[in-house]
Amino acid sequence: MPCFIEQAVSLRRISRAFGPVPAVSRVSLEVARGEVVLLRGPNGAGKSTLLRIVATALSPTSGSGRVLGFDLLDGREEIRRRIELIGHRTRLYEDLTAIQNLRFAALLYGADPALAAAALEEVGLGSAARERVRGFSQGMRQRVALARAHLRSPELLLLDEPYAGLDRDAGELVDAMVTAARTEGRTVLLVTHDASRAGLASRVVVMRAGHLHGATPAAETAAVRA
Amino acid sequence: MSFARVALGVALKDLRIELGGRYAAGTVLPFACTQLVAFGLSLGPGRSLLEETAPALLWIAVLFAAVLAFRGAYEAEGDDGALEGLLLAPVDKAAVFAGKAAAVMAQLVPLACVLALLTELLFGVGPHGGLPALLATVALGTAGLAAVGSLFGVLTEAAKAREAVFPLLVLPLTTPVLLAAIRATALIQAGSQAEAANWLGLLAAFDVVFLAAGAALFGHLIED
Repeated sequence: MPCFIEQAVSLRRISRAFGPVPAVSRVSLEVARGEVVLLRGPNGAGKSTLLRIVATALSPTSGSGRVLGFDLLDGREEIRRRIELIGHRTRLYEDLTAIQNLRFAALLYGADPALAAAALEEVGLGSAARERVRGFSQGMRQRVALARAHLRSPELLLLDEPYAGLDRDAGELVDAMVTAARTEGRTVLLVTHDASRAGLASRVVVMRAGHLHGATPAAETAAVRA
Repeated sequence: MSFARVALGVALKDLRIELGGRYAAGTVLPFACTQLVAFGLSLGPGRSLLEETAPALLWIAVLFAAVLAFRGAYEAEGDDGALEGLLLAPVDKAAVFAGKAAAVMAQLVPLACVLALLTELLFGVGPHGGLPALLATVALGTAGLAAVGSLFGVLTEAAKAREAVFPLLVLPLTTPVLLAAIRATALIQAGSQAEAANWLGLLAAFDVVFLAAGAALFGHLIED
């Protein structure tokens, strides 16, 4: 059962190793509901691993955590109902068309398949809806993944380098998605190398070599950027 | 989300991908036909030998074709992390397994029928009035193969050497299904349908075991 708490994400000394290689080491992190947290750090810092642990795609090697009030291990199915992960891989079927991919995603997430066409229009792919994804560029694939997030309103949006491969217009679509989520009181955990996006966040968290290295409040973030 | 709706959705998705890529029509069917013709030619014109070996040749051709179909079913999941999408979907994973097994079976049944027809044309052995029993054998045999292949296909998707690992895991487990299907087919072709019914019962029992095991284990296998 969910707790009546304000934390969207609450991690306690979470670690994750791949064989002998530690990717995330004893990370504790609190993200309040409605907060937009930007996670920064160099390649290999463990940001994507941490995001995938929060998404329940990976299990922690040790430590515990709750997402939207549900335990990371025992409440996986409940967490999955309430989140959307947009990661490096777009999770699309290459031999299906864009609209077939979205309709299948709608089926899996209990969303209305009739929203698929509108979602593709929203990301500027209305005219390519009936084309197979196999012929799409990386940027177009990323747009379809963004359209998938438009099918429903997840309580927690997990974005892992969502700007990779996107042109300026599509990058603005991501910005709009984050801003809309924030306005609606939903929570966003955003991993990006793009420092210009710090203004979207209420807090910036830096990760290096599997460890969190402090959090910067929104006011300081703005000051640093200035 | 109902079990049946998810299973149907997954099955239709896999069949759409199959139709789009035409893997079965383009690869599996020519491979299985060539194999049957090659066996027929290598065994020579001796009629009794062909009659005795025809059921085994038919089912070995179906098995080899099935191995290719299983791999095709999971290659699409590995293309761009799609399997993670199934993992993160808040649906009963047993329904996903059922859908994937149903899609493989839907590909194997017509393939096995074509191969059975080819066996009759090449080797002169047919169901001899036992067509419903032969169709039941095809349905039960392909269901068992589809269950084993769909369960272990997901396991090998993550393996680095999946081309080597998959047959090593799947082929031994399909042996009981294969033996029962071969015996049932041989008895039907010999006109002993009452005896074939015993083997069909055994095939049905194998199917229940493998489908139940798949439904119970699939979710655990795709979790990290």
